Amino acid sequence: MSQQAFPWGAALAILVIVALAVHFLLPVLIPFALAFAVAYVANPLAAAAEVRGLRRQSVVILAYVLIIAMIVLLAGKLLPLLGRELSSLQDEVPAYAARLRLSWLELQRRAVERLPFAAEQIRHIDTTQAFGRLIEQARNLPSYLLSFFPLLSLLFLIPFISFFLLMDGPASIERMIQRCPSRYVEQALHLVFEIDHSLGAYLRGLIVVALALTAASFVGLSVLGVNQAFWISVLSGVSSFVPYFGAIVGMIVGGLAATLQFGSVAAGVKVVLLFLLLRLGDEMFLQPYIAKHSVHLHPLVFLFTFMTGGELFGFIGLVFAVPVACVVKALIDVGWSWYSSEAQLRVCDDLDASGVPFT
Amino acid sequence: MFKSLKKLFFDPSIQRKKAFLRSLVLFKDLRDRELGHLAQSLHARTYHSGEVLFLEGDIGRALFILESGKVELARAGEDGKPQPVYTAQPGDFFGEMALLEQLPRTASAAAVERSHLLLLYRSKLDALLIHHPRIGASIMAHLAQLLSARLRRASTRPA
Repeated sequence: MSQQAFPWGAALAILVIVALAVHFLLPVLIPFALAFAVAYVANPLAAAAEVRGLRRQSVVILAYVLIIAMIVLLAGKLLPLLGRELSSLQDEVPAYAARLRLSWLELQRRAVERLPFAAEQIRHIDTTQAFGRLIEQARNLPSYLLSFFPLLSLLFLIPFISFFLLMDGPASIERMIQRCPSRYVEQALHLVFEIDHSLGAYLRGLIVVALALTAASFVGLSVLGVNQAFWISVLSGVSSFVPYFGAIVGMIVGGLAATLQFGSVAAGVKVVLLFLLLRLGDEMFLQPYIAKHSVHLHPLVFLFTFMTGGELFGFIGLVFAVPVACVVKALIDVGWSWYSSEAQLRVCDDLDASGVPFT
Repeated sequence: MFKSLKKLFFDPSIQRKKAFLRSLVLFKDLRDRELGHLAQSLHARTYHSGEVLFLEGDIGRALFILESGKVELARAGEDGKPQPVYTAQPGDFFGEMALLEQLPRTASAAAVERSHLLLLYRSKLDALLIHHPRIGASIMAHLAQLLSARLRRASTRPA
């Protein structure tokens, strides 16, 4: 029996080159990685059109034209809304900070009354400076938000890159397979399939959760009458790219905003309950659908992946931790599958009827 | 107007690929849209003359469908030298056992001339069986018929 000696040296060299490229070119790679994720999520639509015999390129161009037209139409309504939310943020946040200070002073007064033995120490806690700084920073909040606008270049760059990726479609995979040494084509296909299987399901699930959480929390916060519902729901949706983070961020930011706006803890609790409900809805209705096709990582591996990603690359590391783990898991699965089949560890001999003569 | 719109939106290469797949006995019962799904599960590769697709004893993981060109299948003789057993022509498919079990290939395959092949990887067939059961079941039924015919021929062959 001939053995397919896998070029482990070449594979290791490729891994080292990829790791070095990620380390040195991270800022350049981020838009490409995000664009790849967007193209990956949108690809089933283009693929569905191809199944019906439609030309991929025409469908992608048509979809982009429609999306741009929709953005232009919506911009007329959305931009004034964003402007209003920003200016009200500028007015409201210092007021919230002042209210927070009053609540603190009230709390201090009560503590002095109830704990007379520590009255002197409590009185000495002077928060005037801290609240002064908070109010000053709060006034600058809109300009901080506006300082994120350079990041908006990503909003143009990512669709631009993903446009070309979508136009290309599976052709890039076919090119890779064409360049693969002929005897390793089957292994290359196995690897592509495994990565596609776990990564695709995870990314699509993530986008679905982010969009659903943004929309549902916006509706919920609006019904509760919370100001800045738009920003809080967007923040919560973006945070949900790190699993479990979206609802937590929504609870903290939304709860705090509602407490300060209405001047009652009950309002904050309502918002916390809203995000708990959304989390529950996510677990009950979205996760069963997403997890059915998704990568199955042990919770400890999940945690380790997050901690490593966060430690090495910060927030971006948190976002990309699980996708990278998906790829590593696919590599391990494929490696084991090759080894076990080459070493004849898995032989199908469970057909007892195979000894019965042909009839 | 309608014709130019059709030309703009419909891809003739997809229709050609579907027509080719429909001509194969393995896929002859599939509907147009099912052939579209199948076409997306196939990977294409061009092999140059003399290029080896797989060797006897390699673990098989894919079915090969010859779209154009010629591929020679050979088996090691008693002297260990490869003896040609069959030359696959366009429309032929081989390596189908890999879709059923991961066992060593029983023959080697090499392109005799520049050949264009479509590959159906085993996991893709599994995915078709899950997501498009009619396609997967139809392919499996034809594979079973093929194996049955081969077994019948082998068992009725005079010793």
